[in-house]
Amino acid sequence: MSRRRTSSLGLALWAWISLFWVAAPRPLLAENRATIRGNYYREKSTRVMQPLAQITVDAPDERLTLGATYLLDAISSASIASGTQAATGGDNVFTELRHEFVGTAQSKLGEWTLGGFFRYSTETDYLSRAGGVSLARDLLRKNINVALAYSFGGDRFYRIVNNTGAREPWCGGDVDVNFCRTGGYGRNNNFLQIHNTLASYSHTLHETMLATFSIGYAHLRGPQDNPYREGFLGGIEETHPHVRNRVVLTPGVRWMVWRERITFEPFYSLYLDDWGQRAHTPELRVHVRPVRFLRLRARYQYYKQTAAFFFRADGQYVDGDSRCSRDAPINCATADVKAMPWEAHTPGVQLTWEFDGVAARNPRLRWLEGGFVEVTYNHMIQDNRFGNARIGSLAFSLAY
Amino acid sequence: MHRRRAAAIGVVIMLGAASCVLVEPHQRKYLSMPEMNPATDSLEDVFHAHIEAARRASTNGHGGGGGGCGCG
Repeated sequence: MSRRRTSSLGLALWAWISLFWVAAPRPLLAENRATIRGNYYREKSTRVMQPLAQITVDAPDERLTLGATYLLDAISSASIASGTQAATGGDNVFTELRHEFVGTAQSKLGEWTLGGFFRYSTETDYLSRAGGVSLARDLLRKNINVALAYSFGGDRFYRIVNNTGAREPWCGGDVDVNFCRTGGYGRNNNFLQIHNTLASYSHTLHETMLATFSIGYAHLRGPQDNPYREGFLGGIEETHPHVRNRVVLTPGVRWMVWRERITFEPFYSLYLDDWGQRAHTPELRVHVRPVRFLRLRARYQYYKQTAAFFFRADGQYVDGDSRCSRDAPINCATADVKAMPWEAHTPGVQLTWEFDGVAARNPRLRWLEGGFVEVTYNHMIQDNRFGNARIGSLAFSLAY
Repeated sequence: MHRRRAAAIGVVIMLGAASCVLVEPHQRKYLSMPEMNPATDSLEDVFHAHIEAARRASTNGHGGGGGGCGCG
């Protein structure tokens, strides 16, 4: 039995490898790329420093591209709601590290592109694993591209207790901590299941214009509240519904006016969910090339969201003793800004210097060809309790 | 109301007419530039998606779900 299984696996592997070599048209260009990036996020009570390294390798060309990414989130917070009380014994600055590894594989076979990924992310009180597959098809001589993607995520939640580093599973505010289990799934479990599907369509309308449209649907089942917000709720544990269905539609256009070296990129996102929340996000990006190898991007985004059905502006919640749901909002309690109505304005700029010009002028620097350095700054002006936020990043990328 | 409907039909016809235009491979010079390629922003999108997962109701079309947070 085991020998037969091994033989079948070998045959399948051989067939797969043969498909790579036979099905794709030749010749193809290979481009390996290495990128390092530093992201920065700062608001009144939270700072995030996020170094990231990514490498992609064509093995040997676009018929098989493998990628690996590692990122570190160093999250420093002085907010009680982030668990600083539980972790440090007081409202002191608490720094937490999150490690994330992502592996990707993509195969371009003629007009088809197949992809897959696996992501593992861990921090003190949180563990997340996710995997997904995608399939895309070029149509009408690459004038249309249709893609479908599905991913599944499984997250485990814990709560740090007694500022000793000890932790206990968190199953949601409406589950008694004594009945909360880890290691399985279901109502009294600390497992959040996330099913994500995304369908996207892009259409070349002209040699300088591309239209895109995507629709995403996510189904979440499991604890979705924060275990550390009792302080905001007068001792009541934050309690959200365990099920959430989310839809987002995003149409957009990219239009280049080449004579002026300007590209306009307007798009809009409409978000809806069964917690009664709705969000509108129109955004305009304008790309300019003042000189051939220098790109400047200006951006403005407006964001507005409505409240969840269980949010109470007066903050007067009661300690419900049974399930929080649309039929029983009295059992829900929230101090989560994500469930409140607010709006934000985000202007931003980005500068990208492509190394192709330097590489062409100086033979010794030819290895810089295809590389770039990119600096980004966004300023988020928002009317919620987080206050305004500064978002920056610096990236350096080389093709090899 | 009629005017709005006519405008909507006009937009659909314009897009439909444009969609009949086939852009050949040798005409893709501009489309292949980074500012015309949605994949150019992929790493930036990952970072923004993480911020949104921790701070917003909306997922803004990046995929959504997951991601630990220093959520205040």
